[in-house]
Amino acid sequence: MIQFINVKKTYPGNVHALKGINLTIEPGEFVAIIGLSGAGKSTLLRSINQMHTITDGQLLVNGLDVTKLKGKELRQFRRHIGMVFQSFNLVKRTTVIKNVLAARVAEMPMWSSLLGLYAKKDKIKALEALDQVGILEKAYVRADQLSGGQQQRVALARCLAQDPQIILADEPVASLDPLTSQTVMQDFVRINKSLGITVIANMHHVDIATKYASRIIGIKAGEIVFDGPSSTLTHDDLTNIYGRELSKDDIKGDM
Amino acid sequence: MSEAVRKKLKEAPKTWILNWIVVFGLAYVVYLSLPYIEFNGIFEQGSIIARNIILGIFKPNLSLLIDFSSKDAVPYLMLETVAIAFLGTLFGAILAIPLAFLSSRNIVPKKATYITTFLIAVIRTFPAFVYGLMFIRVTGPGPFTGVLTLGVSSIGMIAKLYVEFIEDLDKGIIEALDASGCNTIQKIRYGVIPQLMGNFVSTTLYRFEINVKNATILGLIGAGGIGGPIMFALGGYRWNDLGALLIGLVVIVLIIESISVRLRKKLAVGE
Amino acid sequence: MNWLKELIHPSPILLGNGKSIQPKRSPSVIIVPIVIFLVLGSAIITEVDLVALFKRGYQFFVMIVRMIPPNWSYYKNVITPLIATIMMSVIGTLLGAILSLPLAFLSANNIIKNKWFLNINRGAFSIFRTLPVLVYALVFRFIFGPGAFAGTLAIGLFTWTIMTKMLYELIETVDMGPFEAIESSGASRLKAFRVAIIPQILGQYISMMLYNFEMNVRSAAILGYVGAGGIGMLMNEKLALREYDKLGLILLFLLLTVYIIESVSRLIRERLN
Repeated sequence: MIQFINVKKTYPGNVHALKGINLTIEPGEFVAIIGLSGAGKSTLLRSINQMHTITDGQLLVNGLDVTKLKGKELRQFRRHIGMVFQSFNLVKRTTVIKNVLAARVAEMPMWSSLLGLYAKKDKIKALEALDQVGILEKAYVRADQLSGGQQQRVALARCLAQDPQIILADEPVASLDPLTSQTVMQDFVRINKSLGITVIANMHHVDIATKYASRIIGIKAGEIVFDGPSSTLTHDDLTNIYGRELSKDDIKGDM
Repeated sequence: MSEAVRKKLKEAPKTWILNWIVVFGLAYVVYLSLPYIEFNGIFEQGSIIARNIILGIFKPNLSLLIDFSSKDAVPYLMLETVAIAFLGTLFGAILAIPLAFLSSRNIVPKKATYITTFLIAVIRTFPAFVYGLMFIRVTGPGPFTGVLTLGVSSIGMIAKLYVEFIEDLDKGIIEALDASGCNTIQKIRYGVIPQLMGNFVSTTLYRFEINVKNATILGLIGAGGIGGPIMFALGGYRWNDLGALLIGLVVIVLIIESISVRLRKKLAVGE
Repeated sequence: MNWLKELIHPSPILLGNGKSIQPKRSPSVIIVPIVIFLVLGSAIITEVDLVALFKRGYQFFVMIVRMIPPNWSYYKNVITPLIATIMMSVIGTLLGAILSLPLAFLSANNIIKNKWFLNINRGAFSIFRTLPVLVYALVFRFIFGPGAFAGTLAIGLFTWTIMTKMLYELIETVDMGPFEAIESSGASRLKAFRVAIIPQILGQYISMMLYNFEMNVRSAAILGYVGAGGIGMLMNEKLALREYDKLGLILLFLLLTVYIIESVSRLIRERLN
């Protein structure tokens, strides 16, 4: 369970990225965060695994105060949180399976990881993860030979190889075309439902967010202005969150 | 583990075999070479010498370092070294031009280029110091020999790089000039030279940097510049002089490097 | 003298419609005199003696002619020093290449954020990079005695200084995205570096190693001159004894060796890219 208690993030120069966030996310939820660029979505998401720090308030994940974590404890905490990025962040020159295996090094002893000696059980885990997102057959192909959608699925498999309890997705389908976006989002939904993994996703496109996520959080200028089931999101709520009418950039289309 | 996964596991490409072969092969080669590299242990003298060199660097002979009037002092030696490199590079660059044109496949028929390219390769293989030792027999020890040596030894590398630029020439520009009625000389002056000039100068500057270092090396065989005094200071155990000379060496190279880098950046971006 | 004035201060050009354009002074006006000055100055400093060159220049070609045909029977004396030369380069290059990895890591601005540390590191290496390998060889020969050990160490140190720069420049061009991703999965920076950054640079790293190896084989040939092992000593001897035919053989073998190494190296490097 993730709890934000009056969380604030202020950058030097008095820039208030987050102004008093109060939020609780239960395990197994599928949450989408929407809002304008710069509204604070990324800061909110990344503070959960402390890729961004917060300046005030309490952030508890499963009862653990994450702001107090450092060094080894922080790394241990991050092991069960997966992260998916807009630009996939795969190592292009290596094979798909090597990319997924990279997620295992956090748990491996130093020498094995430095020499690239993966145990059989790690390889099996990686292959099973690839199977779960449906690209097992590409396991030994170089990552840059895959399409965008396939690369994102490899990234998702990389997360699954961590046995995560939570997956944070930072605009996971923003670089993908409408059709591929749907396939990838369906994978997220499947993982969320069948494995019970909490999914929190920053979404740039409103239509995809409402179609796949069960709960929507709208952020505007560092504050939460909407928090509820996606079915209850109205046009007026959207205008409030975005401060204007929606443009075609905010919609993926083809739904 | 499902059947599909089991199958995929077996399909894993065995690249690691190649990697281990290379690593072990290399280790074996290293093991084989060790006897050639006898380690006689550090001479007793050795550690004393090492310490003295370091002391010499931190307490250099200041009169040698700052004396601007003597030909044996660092500033003049620095100047001499740079002058040797400058003239030598210029000499080599000019000689390289005809050789390069004669080795380019878009200027001269392909069969002929085999000969000239081979010639360039042969010139390149001779280490500079062999040319140095040969030229000493022609013009005696001294900075002029250094100039000649650097000149000849630079031809190889400069010509090779020039050829790459010449073969990259954009024919379109020359055709356009042709179409507007220019004669050969005009085509060369307005079509060929502007395209090549920037690159040629850049290459020459690059070689100049390298030659400043080479000039100091040539000094060691008696061809002038700061190298000779370095050898003598070391042999004569004059550590403070050595320190001053080494500092001088480092300073020239750093200065030339930074000037050259800046100039080449300007050339690349556009005059 | 009007043309002189035009060169230095070009007058504005009047167009038909009344507008006037001020042409810029051609840069050659400044550059050419400077270059002439530099050339003359250098010629004086380096005691250019064209007379001697013309009078005795033919000797250079005499030497070359005497090298052909080379003295084939001399080959036995050449093999051992030649192998020593190659081995010095192999070990020296490996040494330098391996040592440069951690140092490059510590000099790259996307890994180390502390500006002071970065600049001190890079500055130190810049200084060491200016010293030609022969100077190192000379110093090491004085410390460790004559022989290939001094030469190997010199090549190692020299390669280290060069590869560190090439390597950190490479590391800075790397895509940090995967590094961030692996860090977010709970791995330490070192592990993330190994798994996300090294695969991006491995090919070029090996390419650099081979390139340096090529260069080092050439310099190794010279190191013998200062007594640091290898074939340089032999070459100097033969020249002094005027045994040009034997020198010709040595050079021929050297040429062949360098050619083979360069070709193989080029093949491997092309495959890596």
